[in-house]
Amino acid sequence: MRLAAVIDATVNIPGLKELSMYRSSASIPFAGRYRLIDFALSNIVNSNIGSVGIFAPEGSISLLDHIGKGKSWDLDRRRNGLFFLPTSQRGGDQLSVGAFAALEDHLSFFKKSTQSHVLVTSAFSISQLDYTDMLAAHLASGVDITEAVRDGDCMKSYILSKDLLLQMIKGFRENRVVSVEDVVNLKKKPYSFAQYEYDGYFVFIDSMESYFNESMALLAEKDWRALFLPERPIYTKVKDEPPTKYLKGSSVKRCLVANGSMLGGKVTDSILGRAVEIGKNSKLDKCIIMQKCVVEENCDLLYVIADKDVYIKAGSVVHGTKEKPVVIRKGSVVGEGDVI
Amino acid sequence: MKKQIVAMLLAGGQGTRLKELTYTVAKPAIPFGGKYRIIDFPLSNCTNSDIQTVGVLTQYQPHLLHQYIGLGTPWDLDRRNGGVTMLPPYAEADGIKWYDGTANAIFQNLKFLEAHDPEYVLILSGDHIYKMNYGTMLEYHKNQQADVTISVVEVPWEEASRFGLMETDEEMRVTKFVEKPENPKSNLASMGVYIFKYEKLKQYLISDLKTEGSTHDFGKDIIPAMLENEEKLMAYRYKGYWKDVGTVESLWESNMDLLDPDSGLVLHDSAWRIFSSNPQLPPQVVTATCDIQDSLVNEGCIIEGKVRRSIISQDVHIKEGAEVDECVVMAGTVIGAGAKIRRAIITPDLDIPVNFELQKKDGEITLLTEQTIGNWKGREDNAFSRGN
Repeated sequence: MRLAAVIDATVNIPGLKELSMYRSSASIPFAGRYRLIDFALSNIVNSNIGSVGIFAPEGSISLLDHIGKGKSWDLDRRRNGLFFLPTSQRGGDQLSVGAFAALEDHLSFFKKSTQSHVLVTSAFSISQLDYTDMLAAHLASGVDITEAVRDGDCMKSYILSKDLLLQMIKGFRENRVVSVEDVVNLKKKPYSFAQYEYDGYFVFIDSMESYFNESMALLAEKDWRALFLPERPIYTKVKDEPPTKYLKGSSVKRCLVANGSMLGGKVTDSILGRAVEIGKNSKLDKCIIMQKCVVEENCDLLYVIADKDVYIKAGSVVHGTKEKPVVIRKGSVVGEGDVI
Repeated sequence: MKKQIVAMLLAGGQGTRLKELTYTVAKPAIPFGGKYRIIDFPLSNCTNSDIQTVGVLTQYQPHLLHQYIGLGTPWDLDRRNGGVTMLPPYAEADGIKWYDGTANAIFQNLKFLEAHDPEYVLILSGDHIYKMNYGTMLEYHKNQQADVTISVVEVPWEEASRFGLMETDEEMRVTKFVEKPENPKSNLASMGVYIFKYEKLKQYLISDLKTEGSTHDFGKDIIPAMLENEEKLMAYRYKGYWKDVGTVESLWESNMDLLDPDSGLVLHDSAWRIFSSNPQLPPQVVTATCDIQDSLVNEGCIIEGKVRRSIISQDVHIKEGAEVDECVVMAGTVIGAGAKIRRAIITPDLDIPVNFELQKKDGEITLLTEQTIGNWKGREDNAFSRGN
């Protein structure tokens, strides 16, 4: 394969602050059993790219813990494989993919790689794009940089040659550009550009609104079928959770459900993470419940995003709205009978 | 390198009473609980008991087992020093020697044991569903300074005659071993779990080889010979869930026990997790038309129909209008719209036709296979009624 991949996980999206307060943005849970970065990594692996550098802010403990040596993605290789590349450069609050200041911290990743071309992407772009095909298009067109687009929307994934990328990193201060995305957006001279049209599943998560809406959209058959392709599986860190138990008297419909849960109540149009407990007579509608949350009996939750390890005591009522779901922070406890 | 204890897991059995389920895989590889294989239980018990060297003895249909266990990663047994070693029969200058009895299988792997030079050897079988701390048993064995400790479990008196039974004195020293007696005098059944002093084990395996008429079996030959010679045989009383899943009925029952909060078999237990090879599958999708109660469902499933008191393995698709009641559905099977199935173990990767019907009465359990579908009369009626 002629392609190495860069996942720029340095950006911190202010809109996702409520979910990234206690973790890297790239390790925000999505679709029940995954973290955002799983989609980018799986896509890369499913495109037969065997060399991946993840540029992440120093101290990305949750991300490092999730990815480890890349075993779940078959990237724990002697040759090539996964490189976790911490950088003191933060993309700041600006989402601009392929920040040169961060890439500059690890020039050896590029210099050591034997691949002639580099894919630059982020953890916020969720798609099933086949980068092999995109590379072929890039080579055929003869341009300097190819960007992926879907229905005119920029997917913030780019392919360029390694030599060109190194040249850009070297001169970015002088040229007054901050990232690969920046270069593309400015149509910086003297480079030539092309677009690669993709027509499969694609969402970009850059706000709580897009996070919630795209999660809910996944409950439609058309969407989950487009994302969960049997021939291109999404890999994630393996947990040894048992199958989910649906208790007597439960009613769970139109949901995506991960393993390890114990479901007692009535749950509709929701996404349930791993090892969640829903008590009897509790009613959940349009909720995202992350791993290891406990919802005791007789609760009523509507438009709620409960982050990991949230404990909701019996009889609580929490109602958000479609426009503004209630986000309950990681590890917090909602007291008995509380009404929010 | 000197080891305190090495486990030897006997996984070569066919399990003929499980019929079609074991035509292509060995009994320990049979799926269980919607996600596991039977062998996950003893292997996970080893991991949780901190036993780090395990030999797995295979013979009948070993391919899937070898592939499944691989380097032992899911059980943390991918170790440089020790870990899991697959031990199928092998050829020597004077020909291939198939394993001939449980004791003979261990005898043929004395070289493996010798290399690890253990003080104790734990013998396990890959046929049972149970969660057991072998570490506690080892402590007991050491404290008693026994030559062999045999794990026993109390079984109901009316069923006792189906088991190999240990008679003991008040101190739990074994006085007699009887295999499936007509009139049982004890209800302590041997679980097929033994801890030997390695030196004693070696001594008896070698002498057993020379014993004429021996079937080279632990229960039938080794244990009686040790009793005869007045070695110190201790019974270790295990308390907890234990089930031999040797028949279609008992395999079904044990699966159903997962749904009974009082059965003692709990998988939702982070302190004693059962590890298994995790395929990477999407979350389960439950649709607007589904109705699931009192059931276990694994990842990768799409449930559109009605599910009652059933175990649904990964990648199963139950289509709209289908009804599954008191069933164990193995991986990859598609249950067609409107099909009605009650009290069956449904084998993997089946394509069950639309409106298929197989409903067993209480007290009956059946194995639903490709052949069952082929024999189904409704198939022709269906074709006819479609009028095409």
